[in-house]
Amino acid sequence: MRSRLLLALFLVMGTASAQAFDFGGLIKEVTKQPESASADSQQQSKQPSLMGLLGGTPVEEEIAIGREIAGRLLGASPLVKDKKLQQYINNVGTWVAGQSGRNDLKWHFGVIESDDINAFAAPGGYILVTKGLYKRLRNEAELAGVLAHEIGHVIKQHHLKILKQGQLIDIGGSLLKQKVGGGGKGQAIGKMIGSGAEILARGLDKNAEYEADRIGVVLAARAGYDAYALPSVLQEIGHLSADDNSVSLLFKTHPHPEKRLLELGDAMDAHADRFEEGKIVAERFYRLQKDKKAQ
Amino acid sequence: MRAIRWLTCTLLLVFVVPLFAEPGHIIRPSDLMDEPYRDAASLVELKAGDSVEIIKRKGGWLKVEAAGQTGWVRMSKIRKGKAAAKPTSGSEAKGVLDLASGRSGTGNVVAATGVRGLSEAELKEAKFSASEMDKLESFTVSGQQAARFAQAQKLAAKELEFIPAAER
Repeated sequence: MRSRLLLALFLVMGTASAQAFDFGGLIKEVTKQPESASADSQQQSKQPSLMGLLGGTPVEEEIAIGREIAGRLLGASPLVKDKKLQQYINNVGTWVAGQSGRNDLKWHFGVIESDDINAFAAPGGYILVTKGLYKRLRNEAELAGVLAHEIGHVIKQHHLKILKQGQLIDIGGSLLKQKVGGGGKGQAIGKMIGSGAEILARGLDKNAEYEADRIGVVLAARAGYDAYALPSVLQEIGHLSADDNSVSLLFKTHPHPEKRLLELGDAMDAHADRFEEGKIVAERFYRLQKDKKAQ
Repeated sequence: MRAIRWLTCTLLLVFVVPLFAEPGHIIRPSDLMDEPYRDAASLVELKAGDSVEIIKRKGGWLKVEAAGQTGWVRMSKIRKGKAAAKPTSGSEAKGVLDLASGRSGTGNVVAATGVRGLSEAELKEAKFSASEMDKLESFTVSGQQAARFAQAQKLAAKELEFIPAAER
């Protein structure tokens, strides 16, 4: 639940040219999609190129931006060294993301070494959950719900949209001039890091969070999971004190879980017939053992 | 042996019971239903602030003990934990909300207090890690793999429309 990673197109300006992305290798999903999801997908593909600077398609840009952002987060908090855990979260996440209509993306999921309770979505399908949050989950449906919320941010391009706004666009403009004028990409990125890192700790508009919650429960239900697992997680997190260090960033960047529960609860109750039968999948849920550092 | 039995009993009381029942409270007036269905019979009407014991969850319904009876209440009408204070009529949800967030009268501002978690400091120092990104991408699975993973637990894809925001 969370997601704040946006950041930077700028990154891309510097790195996309230097890194060889295998965009042609993007897999074509075979999973059957609901019609509504296909419509979502078509809508996405009509989006104009975000920057038009990379010489790539909008999707390529989206992925390049997200990859840089996610890689930076991994630089701060590496993946938990547990191959089975990482494979597990990719299976759950990819199955849920397969219901989103964004089958033009290759989705990546990971659990990172942090006791904070949080989850992050970067454009292009990069989603990272902290170990602190993962440990609080009780079954696969709850994990699916958390991931589905983040997938909601990606498919609605909440972070990309923010990059088009306000101060960020100004920075982007100056970076563009710099690039055109022959300024080094390292310099441009350096400038960006100077002011841009804090962007990871910024929040989206609260309505974007409520929207991601509503999308999340539907995606989880589309995938066959109990849709009420996400609000259950919010109930548990809402229980934690705002003074608890492990949720300080989450609470700073998101509406309080209590507000999210009110918004989501009413939205779901109005369509309760859609969420009747879903699976919890408790037995298969991959549990982290206490103090398990590696495997 | 007696000591062991005592210990067992104590452990059961301390560790097992809370797994099956935990305190909660009603945040908005709600019927206690005899079954987890909208058209089930109402046993009693619960008021905002009423205490309940949460027994289990089934979909969007929580099985609870309340007012000396056992029944079902919509999950959206209940919060875990004891009610912090008796809310006043008409603004029950808001009252509970303010108490839950430790604030009052601050409107819609997302809480920005207490920001001292490690994460924020770490994020400010964050540098791209190529090796970790390689690792992350190495765990990626295909849609077909994920579909097989889902089938193993009989998870079947359904067609469902997205839901709109609640009307206010």
